[in-house]
Amino acid sequence: MAEGVLSAGINLEAFAQAIAAIQALRSSVTRVFDCLKDGKRNKETLEGREKGFVSSFQESLHSVSRDLGELERLSNLVGKPSENHPLHNSGLLSLDPVQDKTPLYSQLLQAYKWSNKLQYHAGLASGLLNQQSLKRSANQMGMSAKRRPKAQPTTLVLPPQYVDDVISRIDRMFPEMSIHLSRPNGTSAMLMVTLGKVLKVIVVMRSLFIDRTIVKGYHENVYTEEGKLDIWSKSNYQVFQKVTDHATTALLHYQLPQMPDVVVRSFMTWLRSYIKLFQAPCQRCGKFLQDGLPPTWRDFRTLEAFHDTCRQ
Amino acid sequence: MGVTCVSQMPVTEGKSVQQTVEILTRKLELLGAEKQGTFGVDCETYHTAPSTMGNQGQAAKLMYVMHNSEYPLSCFALFENGPCLIADANFDVLMVKLKGFFQNAKGNKIESRGTRYQYCDFLVKIGTVTMGPSARGISVEVEYCPCVIASDCWNLLMEFMQSFMGSHTPGIPSVFSNKHDSIYSPADTMVQYMELFNKIRKQQQVPVAGIR
Repeated sequence: MAEGVLSAGINLEAFAQAIAAIQALRSSVTRVFDCLKDGKRNKETLEGREKGFVSSFQESLHSVSRDLGELERLSNLVGKPSENHPLHNSGLLSLDPVQDKTPLYSQLLQAYKWSNKLQYHAGLASGLLNQQSLKRSANQMGMSAKRRPKAQPTTLVLPPQYVDDVISRIDRMFPEMSIHLSRPNGTSAMLMVTLGKVLKVIVVMRSLFIDRTIVKGYHENVYTEEGKLDIWSKSNYQVFQKVTDHATTALLHYQLPQMPDVVVRSFMTWLRSYIKLFQAPCQRCGKFLQDGLPPTWRDFRTLEAFHDTCRQ
Repeated sequence: MGVTCVSQMPVTEGKSVQQTVEILTRKLELLGAEKQGTFGVDCETYHTAPSTMGNQGQAAKLMYVMHNSEYPLSCFALFENGPCLIADANFDVLMVKLKGFFQNAKGNKIESRGTRYQYCDFLVKIGTVTMGPSARGISVEVEYCPCVIASDCWNLLMEFMQSFMGSHTPGIPSVFSNKHDSIYSPADTMVQYMELFNKIRKQQQVPVAGIR
């Protein structure tokens, strides 16, 4: 910073000299043209006139070239002002005298600071996230980015027919559960699972991986106004919002990348235990309600019902 | 629309209806329930007109026309033990036209008005039952909105009612036992209100007769 101020001081001096040099150059150029304009008058003899004119013209031309040489020398001293500024040409915005009307420079500085900070935080976040990998693909952490794309296609690209078969087999496995498969957007399947008269689940699949689930009440609307499955809005009831959270946890729990069909089957088996959502008391405290909610948690292995705070 | 249980809360001895309602609402608020405006259910009684009875010796049937602020666009018409008709709100106008068949029993209008509370997924409505100018009792309606099968959530509902009604928690309503696994409907709530109103009317009959 001090260096910048110093160099600016030197520059100011050189600038003043350069401006003086420009003025000198302009005046000498003016003299050349004055001399040309005046011509050969003011002299008595023709020879004297001619001689005087040539010498004065020569002299003024000399002074022009001298002044030009001086200016060139000074301009080297001054250097390019834009290069000295840390923000390059945008730094010139700070010279704008009407700050109030166009506060571009301060905004620019703020944006610059902000983007610096963003980059810093993003770096930190990516470091942390790499430690806590939640990837459901075959490659866990420590794998290089180059190797990852090789393994993915094996489980992600499955023929739709195979997916249909797996889903219909699961559908037949559980009589109280009806699964309706649709493909509204390309090859990715969406499942509408109706569990008894208790709840409805929207399952968004990517090949045989479950990407997202939303649990809603049996009598809640699961379609948008256009008649499509509504995969974004959550349930109006707290109990189903809680079950949605638990179902998302289950998606991360059940993972077996080499056998995606087993994962889907385990998830559906777990989901089926919600048929007694309102009927099963908590296995720990023995009550139905805690903070107004029934036992919304189902153990991943035993499928027993617990309140969210009663589970271990 | 969820499973609903309508019951009567007896007035505490030595307290007025208003005071008992206040005790009950304070308990609810302590539990964490939030006030959400008011509600109202009313019921008018109609007799079948004698001219239409014929000579088969039928007993006069009573028909009840009810409104519920939870379903502001509907009107419910019920026979005791009979079918329940759900119609648009201007069904009342039609009843005026049917004067020849159904006669309004004037002064028999009974209604319950009060405050609506929400606690988690429960809706609780505590109302004062009035017939004419006098308060006759307290109605407590508890609805568990996420569930549509009455038998599924009865235990849960009862546990919730115990938390603020204590020993006055009602037994399973008779409409529940007839439902089996079918979906609970608003008409079932209206049947429960009709039964409650009839019970309250009978309770009051004796003293009313005494005054006359």
